[in-house]
Amino acid sequence: MTMLGMTSRRRSTERLGQVFTWMCAGALALNLLLAVGLLILIGMHGLAYFWQASVTEIELKDGTRLIGEVHGIEAVPTADAAWEGEQRMRLKIGNRDLYGLDFRWLRESEIETVTTPDEVVLLERLEWGNFYGRMVELRQAGSPVAAGSEAVLAALPDLHQRQMALRESIESLEHGEMGEVNYELEKLRLEERAVRMRGDDARASADLARMERTQAQLDERYRELAAELTAMRDRLHDVVLVMRDAGGQTKEIAVGEIVRVVQPNSMGTLASVRLYLGRIVEFVSGAPRESNTEGGIFPAIFGTVMMVFLMSFAVVPFGVLAALYLREYAKDGPMVRAVRIAVNNLAGVPSIVFGVFGLGFFVYLIGGTIDQLFYAEALPTPTFGTGGILWASLTLALLTVPVVIVAAEEGLAAVPRVVREGSLALGATKFETIWRVVLPAASPGILTGMILAMARAAGEVAPLMIVGMVKLAPSLPVDGYFPYVHLERKFMHLGFHIYDVGFQSPNVEASQPLVFATALLLVGVVIGMNFVAIVVRNRVRRSYATSAV
Amino acid sequence: MKRVWIAWTALVSLSGIAGASPIQVDEAVAPYAKVGGVAGNLNSIGSDTLNNLMTLWAEGFQKNYPNVRTQIEGKGSSTAPPALIAATAQIGPMSREMKPTEVDEFEKKFGYEPTQVRVAVDALAVYVNKDNPIEKLTLPQVDAIFSKTRHCGAAAAIDTWGAAGVSGEWAAKPISLYGRNSASGTYGFFKENALCKGDFRDTVKEQPGSASVVQGVTEDVQGIGYSGIGYKTSGVKALSIANKEGDEYVNTDPELVLAGRYPLARFLYVYVNRHPDRPMDPLVREFLKFIVSREGQQIVVKDGYLPLSAKIVGQELEKLK
Repeated sequence: MTMLGMTSRRRSTERLGQVFTWMCAGALALNLLLAVGLLILIGMHGLAYFWQASVTEIELKDGTRLIGEVHGIEAVPTADAAWEGEQRMRLKIGNRDLYGLDFRWLRESEIETVTTPDEVVLLERLEWGNFYGRMVELRQAGSPVAAGSEAVLAALPDLHQRQMALRESIESLEHGEMGEVNYELEKLRLEERAVRMRGDDARASADLARMERTQAQLDERYRELAAELTAMRDRLHDVVLVMRDAGGQTKEIAVGEIVRVVQPNSMGTLASVRLYLGRIVEFVSGAPRESNTEGGIFPAIFGTVMMVFLMSFAVVPFGVLAALYLREYAKDGPMVRAVRIAVNNLAGVPSIVFGVFGLGFFVYLIGGTIDQLFYAEALPTPTFGTGGILWASLTLALLTVPVVIVAAEEGLAAVPRVVREGSLALGATKFETIWRVVLPAASPGILTGMILAMARAAGEVAPLMIVGMVKLAPSLPVDGYFPYVHLERKFMHLGFHIYDVGFQSPNVEASQPLVFATALLLVGVVIGMNFVAIVVRNRVRRSYATSAV
Repeated sequence: MKRVWIAWTALVSLSGIAGASPIQVDEAVAPYAKVGGVAGNLNSIGSDTLNNLMTLWAEGFQKNYPNVRTQIEGKGSSTAPPALIAATAQIGPMSREMKPTEVDEFEKKFGYEPTQVRVAVDALAVYVNKDNPIEKLTLPQVDAIFSKTRHCGAAAAIDTWGAAGVSGEWAAKPISLYGRNSASGTYGFFKENALCKGDFRDTVKEQPGSASVVQGVTEDVQGIGYSGIGYKTSGVKALSIANKEGDEYVNTDPELVLAGRYPLARFLYVYVNRHPDRPMDPLVREFLKFIVSREGQQIVVKDGYLPLSAKIVGQELEKLK
């Protein structure tokens, strides 16, 4: 009987174990499903944004004509029996300079006819968003070059290319020679202030006289360049495309302001795919336009990646040194245990607290002091005494240092005692043992810590909002002017970009798909950085796996 | 006081508009004239209503001065005065006037008042979902919807759309409120002008940005919220507002706003730190000049706000001399 009882108990625990296994597997499957579902949702919305749908022309019963893209159809929510089951569509009509709003809702009963004419064009413009309409005439210096849809379309590509080249040379003049003159002038102004702050003596007045001469030269050079630039700008606005919208209103658009001319309805599959890829490239490599609702997000990608790398440079040495001390040098006791508990607790502090600390300590205290000591001539404009990429990276380094300490300690603990003792027995000092034997063997663990820290840092937004992340920072923290890397500059971040475009943008409707695309890119950037780190770790692990045995 | 000014603006600028829609910038506003030697960092911290305008202005300004680095933060008008006082920003955009206490704080640190520049006109619109049949409200009604104190004189609180004057199936639907967080100048302006300085209800869902108010109302059929007219989308409807029962209901058409007839119109401001005896930092001066130039005011129109008249532009330019 006892035997029977034992078997049945074993059987019941076995069954329980099976149930438990299924539960675990189920939970894992659910997690995976959620993650994959989220990625698919973001991916679908984000990637669909770049695909060109066909453009329809709609005539309403009251005679109004509209051209646009259909963005969704839904049932009209009403209890009114007359409208029962009626549908309405959201039409992107663009032409913001003519209509004010980008979208318009149309009820089924309002619509007379829907057509998709071949000759309708979509112009992607630098300002005011898309223009939908028909081409009427192409003018150069006031005289018509081509008239009628087909003739214009034939003549346009050459002129457009020329104007694009002109635009590029304007930009290179602006950022090249003209930028240099501006940079020199600003430097001169600051030098002058510094000289004046030093006080009056013979050397100061000599310096000032010299500066005045340089200033005059630079001003002269600036005027020349400005005149050249104005001439080029005039040429840019010389070629004008006359468009007619659906309602018959004409609009003159400078060809130099057009990014792209698309005829969505007569485009082949190959052209569609090329357009799609072209838009993705533009999105990833371009600069934002129109208050971040159009254009690309390159500065945000660059800011995110650079910030994460800077953070890694700061956090890994600190974390590893702390772990080394805790594991190799400190004697285990209440003190070390207290430090360990503190480190673990630090990992649980809300990130915004680190942000506030970063603002008070790094920005105001350290940054403010640096400004007073080295950038006094620029005050009251702060240089380091305001948020910047350096302070943001250091704040995030503080935030992620516990992760690195814990991972590095585990890595160090995993190095077998025999290896250390062997090294010591061969006559190496303790430092040599740690430096040559223990650290290399523990490096995969340290790299794991770094990967975790990078993943956490790339997704963190809240603390950065107060230590240097901004909506728009068109100049990257790296450029061609000495000292090339400008750690005091503010930067853009993908996480904040998502928040900004989604919740702060003036044109929420039009920019919503951009939120998904940016989110997709952020996920991609995090995965990419982790992937690189994991490859590095595996290589390190392999090279030490052979030497450790 | 404020409304008088706006009426004034209108008298001067109406001749330029001549009923044309979209609205045009006053012909008498001079285009921007470039000068040499403008480069450096320009930091702006302040209003979120002005956030997009600041970004657009910065983009335009950079066309003239490619080497200016502009950095824009917009988390609410209340963040502008501390930033100006701590000198972490040279430019403080605000969607309301500085409060006397804020001006005092500034004066305590620097010994002079901050310089105020008017940069655009905004109509604070009361938005409802596009499917909502309601078209108009009086200010006391708006107060009765948003406020728990009802200082504007409404007899009873309005909790359902029926009480706000909608009949049929909508009458029983409860009203769902959307508003801004208290750091926002829009919050302050609405509290002062639509709630007669009363308190908001606790049920107002405070949103972090003007666009999220509009989005909330777009998604929530029973929603009502307030935001600048520049944030209007096709998913919402801006209501006509009357000062009180019996007055004329006025919508947010640019002409009516500039004529001073829309009750919730306001100026948008930029504050700067300018020592009265010293020349202004050329970077800040040129940026402000750009804002009140024809190009700058064209950008105001582009973002959905209303431009200043030539008269006001003249007054503001005087301050920048």
